[in-house]
Amino acid sequence: MIRTAIVTFALSALCGWSAPVFAQADPPVSRLELGVGVRWIGTAPLGTQAANETTGAGAKSPLFSTTSELGGAAGIDGRVGVRLSHSFVAEIEGTYAKPELRIAVSADTEGAAPVTATETIQQFTVGGNLVWYLPLRQRSPRFAPFAIGGGGYLRQLHDSGTLVDTGSFYHVGGGVSTLLSSGGRWHTKGVGVRADVRAFIRTNGVAFDGGSKTSVAAGASVFVRF
Amino acid sequence: MKRAFTALLIASLVLGHSAPAHAYLKFGVPIRGQQVTVKWAQTPVRYFVSDTGVPGVSAVDFQNAVGRAFATWQAVPTASITYQLAGVTSALPGSDDGSSVLGFRSRPDLDRVLASTSFLVDSTTGALIESDIFFNSAFQWSTAAAGETGRYDLESIALHEIGHFSGLGHSALGETEMISTGGRRVLSAEAVMFPIAFAPGSIAARTLKADDIAGISDLYPDGDFQTTDGSLSGSVTKDGQPLFGAHVVAFNPATGTMVAGFTLNAQGQFSIGGLSPGPYAVRVEPLDDADIDSFFSSAQTVDIDFRVAFFDRVVAVPKGGDSGQIALKVVHK
Repeated sequence: MIRTAIVTFALSALCGWSAPVFAQADPPVSRLELGVGVRWIGTAPLGTQAANETTGAGAKSPLFSTTSELGGAAGIDGRVGVRLSHSFVAEIEGTYAKPELRIAVSADTEGAAPVTATETIQQFTVGGNLVWYLPLRQRSPRFAPFAIGGGGYLRQLHDSGTLVDTGSFYHVGGGVSTLLSSGGRWHTKGVGVRADVRAFIRTNGVAFDGGSKTSVAAGASVFVRF
Repeated sequence: MKRAFTALLIASLVLGHSAPAHAYLKFGVPIRGQQVTVKWAQTPVRYFVSDTGVPGVSAVDFQNAVGRAFATWQAVPTASITYQLAGVTSALPGSDDGSSVLGFRSRPDLDRVLASTSFLVDSTTGALIESDIFFNSAFQWSTAAAGETGRYDLESIALHEIGHFSGLGHSALGETEMISTGGRRVLSAEAVMFPIAFAPGSIAARTLKADDIAGISDLYPDGDFQTTDGSLSGSVTKDGQPLFGAHVVAFNPATGTMVAGFTLNAQGQFSIGGLSPGPYAVRVEPLDDADIDSFFSSAQTVDIDFRVAFFDRVVAVPKGGDSGQIALKVVHK
């Protein structure tokens, strides 16, 4: 379902891009937008795994079990956007956060106390977004709702600094931005705030089964338009 | 205790081990004050098979089963060791003639020994010169594809002995229980090199496990094994004192595999090699008291008075490197 949503979003974006009416009817008042803020990416479950031994009959006999997850964490977020048309903005966005990798060990057959082993991961993302400002904007000029989709590269550095996991991510979601002031000094054309919520899909990276992991991500930022 | 004879041999070779060993145990001999790993210097390693069968296993059956076991070790993609059948011989295993021979011998006096491996080692280099494996014909044997009730699977036992033949010691990745007739029964194991055999009829030990693969790859690394795999090392202490003989297990939650090692020196240090890069959970446990002779000389004081515990940190094993020293602390039982 998520992939379908992304494709649909992308197609609609292309259709909108090719319609000259937007660009000609309402030329962009600003070309460039810089934003900085915080982004929280939610917990990603990494599954359960038993430490099995083999019996003489070839069956599995668990010595202990583990349940793993990459915890949610807030980090910093920065982006640069370029307005393509009245409704569309292309962005480059990067984030940095330090989520905790947790491996909860339990059910040890020799009675070891349950333990949650932890490790701090340094997580970097860099990618591109396409932001579509919805036509609903006309109803409330101060608030601009938008849909957003994108993807990019994921890099996760383990505690020791000697092991790196890499992968990719995709996201789709929506949010709202509002201008706090328009015009201004030093060539700025406005200052505002933006908030969004996304479905954040990680592929590979710290993913014990190699599959995709979906979690919720939310962010808030301050931006300046030039 | 599958092979008291083997165990004694292992104990004598492990005696004086002063350096942490990768994977479970590798055989070592002291040469000029240095602990040297025992291994074959050249491959393919040539071996002869005996021309004598036993009831239920013809000489040809024996040769085929042993050949399959050699092929299983040789198929490990990250290890370079290869073996070659040199021929059939009427010689018996155990004679120091420079030829490695595998065959049956009747040793009813060794009533708990299914098979054993003996070595001839170059005392100046640690290189193996000869390694013989005898299978005790006092037991009932089978080479049936699906195993045979009441008979030990020759291929499984050969796989274990060929691990010794190649220079590997025992692994402690297994659980046992006491049996009323004496000795112990294996409940489960996750290494072909576990020192106690499954019950007759089982063929579960025909497949190498992660611990076996790590061990043979560490001993005979192939290609870029040393740059693609990593190691996990550290020390174990109890009440602030180094602990000797602790069994340390590295568990990979991505693959579900376990590879283990021991603390093998006065500093309580261990090093587990041949690990796929990634995050690991680490468990430390005492050896079963009945197993100690399979791993260590009676002259060595192995501490088994501590509780099983897990390390409270996830340990990252890098590609081609070491995790860095971790400090495991355990408490009295």
